[in-house]
Amino acid sequence: MLPRSGIYGLGYGARSRGQGGVRQRSAAWAGRGTCGPTRRGRRRQVAALTSLIDPVRLGRRQARTRVVFGPHETNLATRRAFSDRHVAYYRSRASGGAGLIVVEEASVDDSDWPYERALLASQGFEGWSRISHACHEEGALVIAALGHAGGQGSSAHHQRVLLGPSPVPDVETREVPKAMEREEIEAVIAAFAIAAQAAVQAGCDGVELNAGQYSLLRQFCSKLTNFRGDELGADRGELLARVVKVTRDAVVSVSAEGLVGLRLSCDERAAWAGIVPETAAGLLTALSPLGLDYLCAVRGSGFWTAATRPDCHVEPGFNREASAVVRTALPTGVALVAQGSIVDIALAEELVANGEADLVEMTRAQIADPLLASKLVAGAADRVRPCVLCNQACRVRDTRNPVVSCIGEPRSGHETTDPYLDASFASGPVEFPPSPQSHVLVVGAGPAGLECARVAAATGHEVTLLERDQVLGGMVRVAARAPGRERLAALVDWLEAECRRSGVRIETGHEVTLEEVDGHEGPVVHCTGSRPGRRNFELATGASVATAAEVLSAERQIAEPPPSPVVVWDPIGGPIGVGVAELLATHGAVVSLVTPDHVVGVQLARTGDIGPANARLQQRGVEIVRRSTIVRVDPRSVTVENRYSGERRVIEAVLCVDAGFLLPEDSLWRASGGCQPRAGDAVAPRTIHEAVLEGRRVALSLGVGDGRHGEVASR
Amino acid sequence: MTRSRRYPLLFSPANLGPVRVENRIVLTAHLTNFAQDGLPTDQHAAYYEARADGGAGLVITEENSVHPTDCAHEKVIRGFSPEVIPAYRKITDSVHRHGTPIFAQVNHNGAHGDGTYSRLALWAASAVADPLSREVPKAVEEQEIAEVITAYATVATHCARGGFDGIEVQCSGSSIVCGFLSPMTNLRTDAYGGSLERRARLVLEILSAVRDAVGRDLAIGVRLCGDERIDRGTTITDALAVAQMVEAQGCADYLNTAVGATTAKSHVFDRLKHVPSGYSGLISAAFRGAVSLPVVAAGRYREPAQAERALRAGHCDLVGVVRAQIADPQFAYKALSGHTEAIHICASCTHDCVVRVRRNCSLRCTENPQAGREADSAPREVSASGSAQRVVVVGAGPAGLQAAIAAARGGHEVIVFEKDSEVGGRLRLAATAPGRGELRDLVRSQLAQCLELGVEIRLSIDATPAAVLGERPAVVIVATGSRPRRPKWACDAPPRSPRLADVIDVLDGSARPSGTVLVIDELGFHQATSVGELLAARGCAVEITTPAMVVGADLEPSGDLDRFNVRAAARRIAQSTDLVPVALEAGGVQLLHHPTGTIERRLVDWVVLAVPPATEDRLYRKLREEAPQLDVRRVGDCMAPRRAHSAVIEGERAGSSI
Repeated sequence: MLPRSGIYGLGYGARSRGQGGVRQRSAAWAGRGTCGPTRRGRRRQVAALTSLIDPVRLGRRQARTRVVFGPHETNLATRRAFSDRHVAYYRSRASGGAGLIVVEEASVDDSDWPYERALLASQGFEGWSRISHACHEEGALVIAALGHAGGQGSSAHHQRVLLGPSPVPDVETREVPKAMEREEIEAVIAAFAIAAQAAVQAGCDGVELNAGQYSLLRQFCSKLTNFRGDELGADRGELLARVVKVTRDAVVSVSAEGLVGLRLSCDERAAWAGIVPETAAGLLTALSPLGLDYLCAVRGSGFWTAATRPDCHVEPGFNREASAVVRTALPTGVALVAQGSIVDIALAEELVANGEADLVEMTRAQIADPLLASKLVAGAADRVRPCVLCNQACRVRDTRNPVVSCIGEPRSGHETTDPYLDASFASGPVEFPPSPQSHVLVVGAGPAGLECARVAAATGHEVTLLERDQVLGGMVRVAARAPGRERLAALVDWLEAECRRSGVRIETGHEVTLEEVDGHEGPVVHCTGSRPGRRNFELATGASVATAAEVLSAERQIAEPPPSPVVVWDPIGGPIGVGVAELLATHGAVVSLVTPDHVVGVQLARTGDIGPANARLQQRGVEIVRRSTIVRVDPRSVTVENRYSGERRVIEAVLCVDAGFLLPEDSLWRASGGCQPRAGDAVAPRTIHEAVLEGRRVALSLGVGDGRHGEVASR
Repeated sequence: MTRSRRYPLLFSPANLGPVRVENRIVLTAHLTNFAQDGLPTDQHAAYYEARADGGAGLVITEENSVHPTDCAHEKVIRGFSPEVIPAYRKITDSVHRHGTPIFAQVNHNGAHGDGTYSRLALWAASAVADPLSREVPKAVEEQEIAEVITAYATVATHCARGGFDGIEVQCSGSSIVCGFLSPMTNLRTDAYGGSLERRARLVLEILSAVRDAVGRDLAIGVRLCGDERIDRGTTITDALAVAQMVEAQGCADYLNTAVGATTAKSHVFDRLKHVPSGYSGLISAAFRGAVSLPVVAAGRYREPAQAERALRAGHCDLVGVVRAQIADPQFAYKALSGHTEAIHICASCTHDCVVRVRRNCSLRCTENPQAGREADSAPREVSASGSAQRVVVVGAGPAGLQAAIAAARGGHEVIVFEKDSEVGGRLRLAATAPGRGELRDLVRSQLAQCLELGVEIRLSIDATPAAVLGERPAVVIVATGSRPRRPKWACDAPPRSPRLADVIDVLDGSARPSGTVLVIDELGFHQATSVGELLAARGCAVEITTPAMVVGADLEPSGDLDRFNVRAAARRIAQSTDLVPVALEAGGVQLLHHPTGTIERRLVDWVVLAVPPATEDRLYRKLREEAPQLDVRRVGDCMAPRRAHSAVIEGERAGSSI
């Protein structure tokens, strides 16, 4: 355990241990010594605006920056304990400059087991200790998140009854909890205290209590779920107050400087009975004598799955108004942490500069770029890899237990196995062997080609990137045309900028020929993407069928007037079919969306957008044709068949949009012998995540591979 | 083993190549999710051992992945890693202790896999996405085919070194081999695609490599799909031809069979109600006619008599019995020893053996709370008579009966009070709905166990606190279940509003809706759909609405949702979603379409509610008040209304912890 000096929050020089790695990091941080004060000095002359990278007081401690890495599910646990992967995951954010790291929530006792890899406080000590040690070495404060999911938990793992204030079924699972009896309530309160004490003894700087979207504490505070006839029903804030009090006492009993934070749902989005910002302010007023050090204002209840961490269809900064209301109820000295899809540095800086918040939770932004804060310190905000709020790989509440990751930074969640690439901004030596340098030709500048070129150039190769289109980005640019998904383009913008910065020679409008490939001295990487897939329906003469990509990329042409009526065929259930239907409907077309499933967009359950997507489609008047397949397309109509009844129906349509599966565009690869490396959709059409991952693997295997390259490189 | 007179064929020995089995009951391969970090666990060993101890003739393990590109589910056994060998040895030693042979199934899931865990592209014959996984696979190159073949051989070697007596190559359902065999998914133009001979080349090369790897001491089997039941899929003609090629090649010792592609979300899946037992018999019979290799059939053989019949009819040489042996590990032994009636018949609920496993949890059984926990500890047997206590259980639903069983097993004196004239509680009513009849098997088997253990059951009795306390119990277990609850919006009925009933009222006959009926599904399970079907069959015009996105949403993973939709279409049952009931009005109901905020109206004669019931905990509260020192426990719905598996497991816990 580290000496409890309480000063490691002060800055990067405060580290006392002189291992090589640390010294190197300190040297890297020295950049701040020269540029930081200058910048700040200049700013002071204009106005003394606070910045994200300024330190901030938290209770009796100080965080070195205002960037918070918030608590979230990772599925990195081994059974219910923290793993080596957790330690590496948090360490990389600490070394990237985060001021405050709130580690994944632990259930306070075993009556709560909300997902299979959910941490359990009684098994948390060693993990908390190792994580705080690692993050303290890197200069960040560490907070243990504690909670109990109550009626929003799962009975699948412990096969016991769920506990709640009242027997109100959860909206999502429909499971009815047991109305907690006195002794069960007392046991949970005591468990909070025991867990808090353990966390601080293990070395954490404090604890954070979860009364957010998925929590028993919120269920007690809310008229949606608390119908008790006892005093905990008469005063719905009573249980929370008692938990805060025992936690405070437990924390202080170990360390006088220990912190207690609260994550509180300040808007349950159910105005008929739920908590609204004014109710939350009332709760906080009652809590204020109990000594909170910070509040993180979130929103959500059982009614809206994606309330806390929605995807890109929801504009960031949605908690600003609620935060402003609850701030009035916070006593001086209690810091406010802003939350709400805050991934843009400009917005985060604005919140801090305006005094709307003291710290900003930028969780997904740091899953996308663990070095976010250190890049800000180095004055390189433009080099932060953007989070595009896709939720595809980082939202892991899924029975399959996927590990947290990021489409743009696939090393996230895999820090213990994947090579470290960003040597220029922080710490340690680059972990992959330098390959013999050569001139690499990358064919195709979609996400796979761009990432491959970026990494190849970063590892010292000379790189030429050739793209057939006039713009770089491939299918990502196309996908970004769908309403609400515009942010996706930011990822390829960033990749392009990084490629240009590192001297990749880029040519657009260049269709690569077999002669060029054959004539190239050095490795050729095929990132040629996909082509339209096979059709499983009959096509009459004169009938018109377009691919989803064609419709999306022709947006400007279809806008005025759109083809109408249109049938969209979506056998996949991902974001594309829904997106193209939304786009056409937005432009005024009459749209029928045909799905083989019971519900549209089944794969969007993972990103949290399935409910909102179905609502948006219905609000835009899109007709959803369920449980059906397309059998025939005619010039003026589309015939669909119900999978269960076999009944056919003819839908009037001048155009059928096929949002089905694609095929690899591998003709050049095949023509050139089928032995050169390839990545992304050219291997098998999948998502941005696989494209980036494989582009990177191929780049790292250049010159060292067995000819199989990145396709199986993770073995 | 002596031959049973009742089931002479079932209990006759057979030879599978070099391996002799003592009877024809096979625990065929099924996923368990017992593996941890890619390795089999002690739970695997204990689970298979319990079935071997119970008399199964042959055990076949769940699939063992042959290659790192195949991690189809999180708890896969990474057969390709040599680390599995010691764990294999534990399993085979445990099973061999009972003289039972055990085979390992080996597989590569191909396009049916999931790239989430491997972070690699799926491998398959062609770039045809599987409709379930919805992931476009990579079409394998020839050198990758060679790698796959070698991988099968390597894993077979691991299995041989781990002590297995045989290897079963999975070629049906979810497998790369099945993908090569099927013209639907194999679009190759090289030596592995095109004609049936070419499509079958992969399986033959795998079998030959596996035989070379393990020699002649181990049995090798092939599990083939007889009919994929999808457009352009493998047909029975093709399948028989492949079986003949396999036999002619001479590497395989037996043939296992299956029906249906895992992708055909069709009505003939190998599970569940509405599907007659032994439905696949004709397919296996066709295989048996085409080859002389011993043929295994699988397909809902729940009772020994069904299995015996299948053998007598010549449908197969061995019978796959999975769920029946999950529900009762002693299935074979009881049949052999003439105690057939003591077998706990599987109720085919699939809740814990199929649905749980699909949701990435480890296998369990609603009917047998020990299943999936064999390694934890054996159930407590009769304790010393000195500690025997008097236990009163109130309520003979699944929770109460299980509590009584567990308490009686512990040597306690148990009395059950039931207010109805029959046992079974809500489950007995649920079993009267269309297609739910087999639930009765759960009640029947619980009742049989109670009687066997000497539990006293008093029916038609009002369990007042005085009556309960009058028995001077040391422990009272309250299992009084739930009662229908009327939601707020349905409390104020204006004049001429439709008549209201709970699904329970419809099932017990106290309400007989007619005309137009709106069924409101807030439970998402069988309640609304089965009662809707019942009423439609009685001639009502039925519409089911739900505030959720799908009617009967929780029926999806068991396949019940698909089957319901087939029947709903035939019965003209309408389904509407995203609707929250807000008020009753003259002649109908107002519903809020929550995505758009619009109000919809339905004019109906009846409204039937499938909504969360209220806990019936009045007795529990009174007992706590009147006898605060008494050990009073609550189990099942009277604590929180849920489904049968929760009731059984809580009853088991309460009864076994006395």
